[in-house]
Amino acid sequence: MGNRLGRYTVWIGVALVGALCWGVLALGRGETVNAAWLLFAALASYAIAYRFYARFIQRKVLDTDDNRATPAERLNNGQDFEPMDRRILFGHHFAAIAGAGPLVGPVLAAQMGFLPGTLWIIVGVILAGAVQDMTILFFSMRRNGKTLGQMAREEIGPVGGAAALVAVLAIMVILLAVLALVVVNALADSPWGAFSIAMTLPIALLMGFYLRFLRPGRILEVSAIGVGLLLLAIIGGGWISESSSYAEAWTFGGVTIAIALIVYGFVASVLPVWVLLAPRDYLSTFMKIGTIALLAIGIAITLPVMQMPRLTEFASSATGGPVAPVGPLFPFVFITIACGALSGFHSLIASGTTPKLIQKESQVRFIGYGAMLMESFVAVMALIAAAVLDPGLYFAMNAPGAVTGGTAESAATAVTGLGFSVSADTLTNTAASVGESSIISRTGGAPTLAVGMSQIFAGLTAFLGGLQAFWYHFAIMFEALFILTTVDAGTRVGRFMLQDLLGNVYEPFRNASWLPGNLIASALIVAAWGYFLIVGVTDPLGGINQLFPLFGIANQLLAAVALTVATTILIKMGKLRYIWVTLVPLAWDAVVTLTASWYKIFSSEPTIGFFAQRSAAQSALANGENYTGASSLAQTQQIITNATVDGILSIVFALAIIIVIADAARVWFGLIRGGKEPDMQEAPYEESKLDVDGGILEPVGAGVSSNRNE
Amino acid sequence: MNNRALQPIRSAWWYLKEISGENAYDRYLTVHAATHPDRPPLGRGEFYRQRQDEKYNNPGSRCP
Repeated sequence: MGNRLGRYTVWIGVALVGALCWGVLALGRGETVNAAWLLFAALASYAIAYRFYARFIQRKVLDTDDNRATPAERLNNGQDFEPMDRRILFGHHFAAIAGAGPLVGPVLAAQMGFLPGTLWIIVGVILAGAVQDMTILFFSMRRNGKTLGQMAREEIGPVGGAAALVAVLAIMVILLAVLALVVVNALADSPWGAFSIAMTLPIALLMGFYLRFLRPGRILEVSAIGVGLLLLAIIGGGWISESSSYAEAWTFGGVTIAIALIVYGFVASVLPVWVLLAPRDYLSTFMKIGTIALLAIGIAITLPVMQMPRLTEFASSATGGPVAPVGPLFPFVFITIACGALSGFHSLIASGTTPKLIQKESQVRFIGYGAMLMESFVAVMALIAAAVLDPGLYFAMNAPGAVTGGTAESAATAVTGLGFSVSADTLTNTAASVGESSIISRTGGAPTLAVGMSQIFAGLTAFLGGLQAFWYHFAIMFEALFILTTVDAGTRVGRFMLQDLLGNVYEPFRNASWLPGNLIASALIVAAWGYFLIVGVTDPLGGINQLFPLFGIANQLLAAVALTVATTILIKMGKLRYIWVTLVPLAWDAVVTLTASWYKIFSSEPTIGFFAQRSAAQSALANGENYTGASSLAQTQQIITNATVDGILSIVFALAIIIVIADAARVWFGLIRGGKEPDMQEAPYEESKLDVDGGILEPVGAGVSSNRNE
Repeated sequence: MNNRALQPIRSAWWYLKEISGENAYDRYLTVHAATHPDRPPLGRGEFYRQRQDEKYNNPGSRCP
């Protein structure tokens, strides 16, 4: 009894700390808030959600059974099916779900103030994102690791399955284009950045050769060498940028970098994986985990004060703020921040690889829900890094060139006009202190995050003189590295999906090692995202504003498919009274995504609605005038084309969501009325003989001894 | 070597080796010896080559 009382006292304490932090965040009177409040509000909320809500889902809703053998145990073949230590699997799953998404979205959403983003990231992950990941992981595990597409087809029907496939391919193409665009915006006109990222290619080649022929399987060794060389490449970039002749040779425009990325994506998809892809994967995983840990330590030690207000005036504006994606707070904050709160993409990872490696059913809570909480925490840290910047600096960096005018003086004037003050000197000095010639209108989120991170890290290394320029390029390198890993791996995934699809028409396409099939499918995928990338880079209005909403909508469309599948299976399991667990997030997701689509299609505001923009540009063209932001009639024509393509895509996405939900609703009502027998696709029960030590959250050391006995 | 002070370092080292896949070959040898004692196991290089090809020919996905 005493023990129990003690436990509850601890949880009451956690709840009180959380409530206090939330109170300070939301209601405090001061102008600025220390980031510590945000950090602890997040951690306390996560702890309570994990202890109570995730446990409720695990025990009551999913009814996990540790006496039931998992596919990893039943089908163990030492390769794709294999019981893996839960802490290791947690690491793998986290590394697979956490990419650039949780870093970019919160930075862009910070234009509304730090509070809307914070609320959505924390409440969203607890009630929607982590729930989606955990339930899909569980359902896929019960079905021997079936993919989301297979589950959609079997549990809902061919229509739902087809919509899922469309969503997956579409999101892949848009996603790759958006991420590549973020990298282009970060590297254009930056000799330092361009040099250090280019150096990752020879480093990866060296690592690949070493790992394949010299010391096979010595992954840690080669990763240590790779990270060392990477740091040298960053330092080398600094020398390049200081020498005027080299700096000129390494200064590239956006289009050049975009073409280089497209060629790189094609080559990486065609070549054997050990040459480029696998070694880059190791590099980016280690950099990712290391940098995220460093950021957490940096924030915890320096405890920076957030300069961004809780809410900016854009939060209540009907047309939103100047930073892309433009639009009112609802629904645009909720599609801008996807990863970290609710990301449909995770359902692809939660079905497929991870479920084949789980030792015990109850571990879906730790791996599915827990890893997503961790990603949410990464998003919170990204938000903090953006919010510690001076708001004037933030808007000068993120407002598009059409607003800032491109020079320090015009940007300072424009930002002052937006209601924030910043001097031209501050902008020039900040650029100099991070080793860049200009930081005006560096849109896309990555450079802003890098400046924020460099301020935090420079606080850590103050005794060495700050090293802000090094840290800025370290952060750029870290973001570019794993965006590029997503680009090459994503191109490869897209290539396989396309080959599978084309295999229906011409059988040999299915064979992944058939060279013509490989070349054709790779070229088609690269051409698809390459088209959107080039369009985005050359877009007179700034491509992020056009593409980011499509990316957010496509991602949340996938979440709608996943939550629909989960709801359907819950009904089939006879858990009708608990379907609100997935139905409420689904309803929210559908409302957000459809409202955002509605704005993009029907809004009469040319900065928001694609078709309004199209007709405004058309009438400008008819009068022989340039549309706002365009400097020639050709550019005006370009805006018309882009708006048309993007508008049609918005319609396709919106229709896909409606079709999936309507088709599933038909199945639900059939099941609830009892007209149809629920056809569960679960693998049959088999008793587990696997013995797993300890509880979910024991210290890592406790498990080591038993693992070393082998 | 039962120094408790070194335990965190040992844990971290174990975690790194496991998560990077460095331990995978040793683990394979154990499983192979138990399941197919009649057949000789793959060499380290061959094992990692097969494993790498396997992994990327059945690509999962990753988040944005």
